[in-house]
Amino acid sequence: MPDVAISTRGLRKTYRTRRGRKVVAVQGLDLEVPTGGVHGFLGPNGSGKTTSIRMLLGLVRSDAGTMTVFGKTVPAQLPEVVGRIGAIVESPKFFPAFTGRKNLELLAEAIGAPRTRVGEVLEQTSLGERGNDRFRSYSLGMKQRLAIAATLLKEPDLLIFDEPTNGLDPAGIREIRETMRGLGDQGKTVLVSSHILAEVEQVADTVSIIGHGRLLASGTVAEVIGGSTAPTVKVAVGNHEAATRILTAAGMTVRADGNYLLVEGAPDPADVTRRLAHQELYVSELVPVRADLESVFLELTEGEGL
Amino acid sequence: MIRLTKVELRRLTARRLTLIGVAGLFLITALLLVATWFDARPLSAAEQQQAERQFQLAHKDWVDHAAENRAQCEEDWKAQPDPKPTVDDMCSYPEPKLEDYGKPPTVFAQIMPDLLQGSSYFLAFAAFLIGASFVGAEFSSGAIGNWLTFEPRRLRVYGSKLLAAATGFVPIAAVVLAIVLLGTFLIVDHLGDTASTTTKTWGDLSAIGGRAVVTTALAAALGCIVGLLLRHTAAAIGVVMGYLVLAEGVFAAFLQKAQPWLVKINFDAFVRHDAQYYVTECKTGNDGSYICDYVQKTLSFEHGAWYLATLAVVMVLLGGWVFHRRDVN
Repeated sequence: MPDVAISTRGLRKTYRTRRGRKVVAVQGLDLEVPTGGVHGFLGPNGSGKTTSIRMLLGLVRSDAGTMTVFGKTVPAQLPEVVGRIGAIVESPKFFPAFTGRKNLELLAEAIGAPRTRVGEVLEQTSLGERGNDRFRSYSLGMKQRLAIAATLLKEPDLLIFDEPTNGLDPAGIREIRETMRGLGDQGKTVLVSSHILAEVEQVADTVSIIGHGRLLASGTVAEVIGGSTAPTVKVAVGNHEAATRILTAAGMTVRADGNYLLVEGAPDPADVTRRLAHQELYVSELVPVRADLESVFLELTEGEGL
Repeated sequence: MIRLTKVELRRLTARRLTLIGVAGLFLITALLLVATWFDARPLSAAEQQQAERQFQLAHKDWVDHAAENRAQCEEDWKAQPDPKPTVDDMCSYPEPKLEDYGKPPTVFAQIMPDLLQGSSYFLAFAAFLIGASFVGAEFSSGAIGNWLTFEPRRLRVYGSKLLAAATGFVPIAAVVLAIVLLGTFLIVDHLGDTASTTTKTWGDLSAIGGRAVVTTALAAALGCIVGLLLRHTAAAIGVVMGYLVLAEGVFAAFLQKAQPWLVKINFDAFVRHDAQYYVTECKTGNDGSYICDYVQKTLSFEHGAWYLATLAVVMVLLGGWVFHRRDVN
């Protein structure tokens, strides 16, 4: 299996509005999703996440660029790998008048999966008892679970979830999050696009952040957070004025935050305590302020309009 | 492709609209047979006596006045300017016959082609409607996007839908037409005349029925294509209704010579093996008068067959091209 599950190079897509105006949805996106684990795909609304996913799934034609999934060129060789891909794009869409079971049976028959598999995936997604109810009677959470059940019919190696927790209650969000994490832990590749950053941070091993259809940052969560935001420490010390003078003279940036000082630019938190102690100023408290994905995301996508 | 077609057939037969549509078809068929039964009933004894009285009055009038009327007519004929009809055409007073009074018996071989043609209309309409809904609902619900993540080869998906709709309607049309044919035969055998039904009659009727099955399958496939192009069942039905009113109604009335290029007359020519239509032809006579005649024309079976085949091929290619290139959201 290749190390990279998904790769795009220079991917571009332009739409025309009804008034004939050109809208660039994706412009030159270079994306790499490593094989195995959960990869967060982040970006403000309208940044091109869903369009990129649709292009990967062959639903939308790209204007330029190349895409591969498990080393196969998409869309030309998509039929060769589609059996290894399970996808939920935006809200789950099934035949509303058919039962959940009927919807899954049709899909299973289309891909040649045994009918017994339908019962299994319904049980796996806790829909066994509601399988014979019409899809239109399902709650949003149940629809989402049915969509996951559909992706599991194929026993896929790559799962693509586009905004999977939209409209779900906290219990539903947690359930989906655990499902994604569980799949990632089983060695599956999970690509999850979401704007709920705290959630992605909890489940993702790696992330890509896009804005205006371009890649802004990519890597492990730690790399992205560390690479973008300078380390900051929160310091409690008796004399703020003197401490500010000493640390500023050492090239650090200092600002007041209530009873604390926020210090940026210290190569190591020990530098702060050492320099202050030399001047007989003793630190009573020092807390590293950990950057989170949200602050990085906001910093990178500033002005892109969330 | 075969597997996909089977899945689509299962979906087609599981849809509520299909079940309602097929139930509606059988209901219409039953109503058609009931209407045929009422039409084929002979006159009651009182109605028969009334008809005989009318005959006797007419015959007496003929005996009393035929010669007198003929003489008067010939005088009038002589006074007519040229060009004039022949004297026999103008002054023919045939003797009334009893069989011309009252209701003639219903003859199976005479009424059946019209009944099969009428059945072919409602079968085609139902097939088109169900075909359009079969695909239109997939687009309006967004389920087509989900489907394509399981089978991304769009032309296979497209072909399977058309095949499923077309083949799904073959047995339905065959059963409906068989019920109409055999039901009418039993009714007319009981109430009218089936003695003149020959092997050739059965052959001709079977051929009409077979062609009606073909047009039903074609209508189902065209319904799918129009549903796919417009992505909504209501839009597909609206377009067809618009075509029927504007092209078949208004346009055909104003531009009669264009009738051979409209769908309905070609449909009739194919199903009935030749169809008649009328055009108004006007000319200036030798005496300078301007005369317009209502002239009957025949559209051949071959014309109808080629027209429908060409229409089907063009629509299938257009639908395939659009579906292959279209972004699915």
